[in-house]
Amino acid sequence: MTGDALKAQEAFQATVREAAMRSAQREAPADRLWFFRDARWRCLEAMKRDLQAEATELEEHDVSPAAPAQIRQLNAEQLAIWISSAPEPQRSALALYYIDEFVPKEMLSLLEMKPSVLGRLIRSARRQFQAWLDATTPHEEEG
Amino acid sequence: MSLFATSRKQHGLAQCAPITDKPSLDRATRMAVQRVRRGEFAARFARQEAFDRAVAALVQKIPVGSEIAEWFANESLVPVKKRTWRSVAFNPAVLAIALAICVITGIFAYRVHEHMSDFPGAARARKLLAIAGSTRSVLLDPVKTEAGALGDLFFMKHRLEHYDVAPEFAEFQTVGCRVFDDEEVQRVAQIYLVEKHMQLFLFPAEKDPKTGIAKDFSDWRYVEQEGWSGAVRQENGICFMAAINGDEQDLRPYLVKEQP
Repeated sequence: MTGDALKAQEAFQATVREAAMRSAQREAPADRLWFFRDARWRCLEAMKRDLQAEATELEEHDVSPAAPAQIRQLNAEQLAIWISSAPEPQRSALALYYIDEFVPKEMLSLLEMKPSVLGRLIRSARRQFQAWLDATTPHEEEG
Repeated sequence: MSLFATSRKQHGLAQCAPITDKPSLDRATRMAVQRVRRGEFAARFARQEAFDRAVAALVQKIPVGSEIAEWFANESLVPVKKRTWRSVAFNPAVLAIALAICVITGIFAYRVHEHMSDFPGAARARKLLAIAGSTRSVLLDPVKTEAGALGDLFFMKHRLEHYDVAPEFAEFQTVGCRVFDDEEVQRVAQIYLVEKHMQLFLFPAEKDPKTGIAKDFSDWRYVEQEGWSGAVRQENGICFMAAINGDEQDLRPYLVKEQP
């Protein structure tokens, strides 16, 4: 979400502190989505001071059957950097989607967007990521 | 929502379909995924799923700080949401079960109620009520007399002993009568009255299969069948039934009238 582990940790800890404070005052968060919603806004707030990724037209490729093999060559930090460099709200959408914790209904609630918009953002990110994979981790066709 | 908007929504949901199975998945997403899996873009969707699984596997490798892991292990900051009675009650499955139980209970209660007032011979009486419903006066031998006088006729002509009309109906004028054999009820005497086209039936009482005795009863017992009501009394092993096209209330005045 931030492209900076320290900033992300600070945002997370602030969220947990806030939740603990609310619990102590018997106003505990209503559900687990509260944590992600709060953490997301803290991350966005923290990112405001940083350089913002521009919504530029990136090259897109169709998702390749070789993509899983290409992805296996990456390390987690490379993926995290790629996602954190995406413009908002695509970055949040990708982070929430690939955590693989939420059903679409929850993601739509967290991101406050329509299914068609979320679908478009994720589809576009997949194609851009595939283009980036093709450029950085070329994979030779088997057979 | 237009068809176009619906399709756009389904397409969007398929694009962000959960990477792994989730029990809380909503119906709209499930439908969207099923549709795309069976559609012309099934191969493309399979590639998308493989892509997403690979990325999610990579995400799982992101190390989580020990401090953060500790927070999740030790803190329970979100209260467990208890299901309210309202959400349980309005669950479609619970509603369907409740409705089914209501229907079954209703049918059971009706059957119990129907058989609570049953007596030996009630089944025969119901069968005769069905016959009453289909009988026209012209089908009977024309006899214009008082109903009470027909007991002698049945005895003299047909050797039917104790086939006596109840005193409450003895003075009513008859249109006709007949005696017939029924496979189940055996020898039946049927009398057609002028009074409200009522019909009287006399037939052998049902014997207890264990004792072989038909226990008489002097009170009136009621049966209903296809819009007809019958009041039955048993004496000397013979049942007497007064039948009327109506309900029990239509019969009651005739039965009370003669009582001391």
